[in-house]
Amino acid sequence: MAASEKTGESRVKIEIRDVSFDYVDRKSTFAALEHINLEIREGEFLCVLGSSGCGKSTLLSLLNGLNRPKSGEILIDGKPVKGPGTDRAVVFQQYSLFPWLTVKGNILFAIRQSGRKYTRKERNEKAEDYLRGVELLAARDKYPGQLSGGMKQRVAVARALALESDVLLLDEPFAAIDPKLRLELQELVSSLCAKEKKTVVFITHDIDEAILLGDRIIVMEPGRIRTETDVDLPHPRKRDDLIGTEAYEKLHRKLIAGFYTQIQEDIDTEVSL
Amino acid sequence: MKRLLLDRKMYVEFALAAVLFAANVLLALFMPYLTEHKRYYDSGAYIVMLSLAFALYTAGVHVTRKKSASDIAVVLFLFLMVWELAYKFGAVQNDLLVPSPEGLFHVFVEKPEEIWQDVLGSLQLLFWGFFLAILFGTFLGLLAGWIPRVREVLLPISNVITLIPPLMFSAYLIMVLATFREAAIAVIFFAVFWPTFQGMVARVSQIDKAVIEAARTMGVGTVGMLFKVILPYCLPGIIKSISKSLRGAFMCLTGAEMLGINLGIGYFIEKYKSFADYRCVLAGIVTVGVITTVIDIAVNKAERAMIRWEA
Repeated sequence: MAASEKTGESRVKIEIRDVSFDYVDRKSTFAALEHINLEIREGEFLCVLGSSGCGKSTLLSLLNGLNRPKSGEILIDGKPVKGPGTDRAVVFQQYSLFPWLTVKGNILFAIRQSGRKYTRKERNEKAEDYLRGVELLAARDKYPGQLSGGMKQRVAVARALALESDVLLLDEPFAAIDPKLRLELQELVSSLCAKEKKTVVFITHDIDEAILLGDRIIVMEPGRIRTETDVDLPHPRKRDDLIGTEAYEKLHRKLIAGFYTQIQEDIDTEVSL
Repeated sequence: MKRLLLDRKMYVEFALAAVLFAANVLLALFMPYLTEHKRYYDSGAYIVMLSLAFALYTAGVHVTRKKSASDIAVVLFLFLMVWELAYKFGAVQNDLLVPSPEGLFHVFVEKPEEIWQDVLGSLQLLFWGFFLAILFGTFLGLLAGWIPRVREVLLPISNVITLIPPLMFSAYLIMVLATFREAAIAVIFFAVFWPTFQGMVARVSQIDKAVIEAARTMGVGTVGMLFKVILPYCLPGIIKSISKSLRGAFMCLTGAEMLGINLGIGYFIEKYKSFADYRCVLAGIVTVGVITTVIDIAVNKAERAMIRWEA
């Protein structure tokens, strides 16, 4: 399904209204976000692209509720976000699995937190289903310390899905994973999110990743949204099929142009300072 | 049973230990007392002890396959042999201060009931003082570690109090608490409580922030955070600290028993010291060594069984 078809039909799931956020320490105040406005539709896969320090992770921390905006508000299904909640699942860049629980224990923890009334047997079956979904059923009794980085992130994805929330927030989840595995994980996340009809916000600094996954791509520059681009490529996307096509090259050129002028501006300001 | 066999070189060492063991038994059984005025004790208890030590060594060397096991056995049996020979040849002048090995181990046959009661008494003191201290120390440390306001009150207080040796409280505790028994338990409690508390605060503050944030995004509240996230996260550290604080508790135990309590192995030693019965004093010290070692090994085994992951 192309993104343009969706825009007409789907209702707004997440609404970011005039949101600002400052990092304050003893000496200074740093405006990380300034008057951000954004709407994310139900079932949309939104990629937020930007170089480090542009505020994209800050935006995600406001969405997941670990930080509160200085001004403005964030609405999910029309209700303001007042803190972390089980209506949003998060996958962090750093491995954040619970090391004292087995792989399956981690998934069961999320299922229990979801607050849904399942019997013990149902919880077990669900946990194994989610692990099967990320192809890690065989590792269910291992502890996170025994897994490789790629496996850990797959468990983290399964754990996020197990929360059964409509919204999924991913903060550069595959940044620390080697390129070959990253590709596998990208395709896995893309198909799982499409299957479960999640509304996804995916933070990344990788243009290819954004094109491969997103229905819409937002490029950020420090504190602001710079450009918005719809990705009218059919799902499921395969990287090998995409690269070299005219549509892909056009998108890539457009995004990279936005990226580089921004970086160039950064360098200019630094030099002038 | 092939895996139970040692390699050839280790059997040479094993044989040496076995020969020394046999020599000790023979010396105890058949060697006459060559000097007069030496007290004679039945060698039965000593030989049982020798056999027990040899059996433990045999099992140990076959399971662990460590060369050091043989070395330790050889040193032990040589030591006992020198002691026995020195005693029976008359090199030991003072029969009162240095008993024969037979005499020492005969205490366990003479007063089995008394020793057993005293050991049990000590273990009870240890259990209550230690158990309560670990329980409260961990719980308060958990709260103080997680809630800054609690920490800022309790940590400075604990920093002052831990500098005072717990036995120093004893003079006062005896007056305040109803029985010597309670005073002894209180001394052990304070010896273990503050280090446990401080260790727990440190563990909670060192907890991986990513884990806490992940838990918060999954809607875990304060109580859930304390007991479903932080406590299990800290559990390996808590278990590891237990064997360490147990040693501290042992140190205090015998001291606490000298407060005037009339039960416990520390009291046993103190009592026979005033009777100038150093044979019994030595037997008491051996008992303390054996008990503490057994508990230490048991705790370490439990520790290894309980820790299934490492941070």
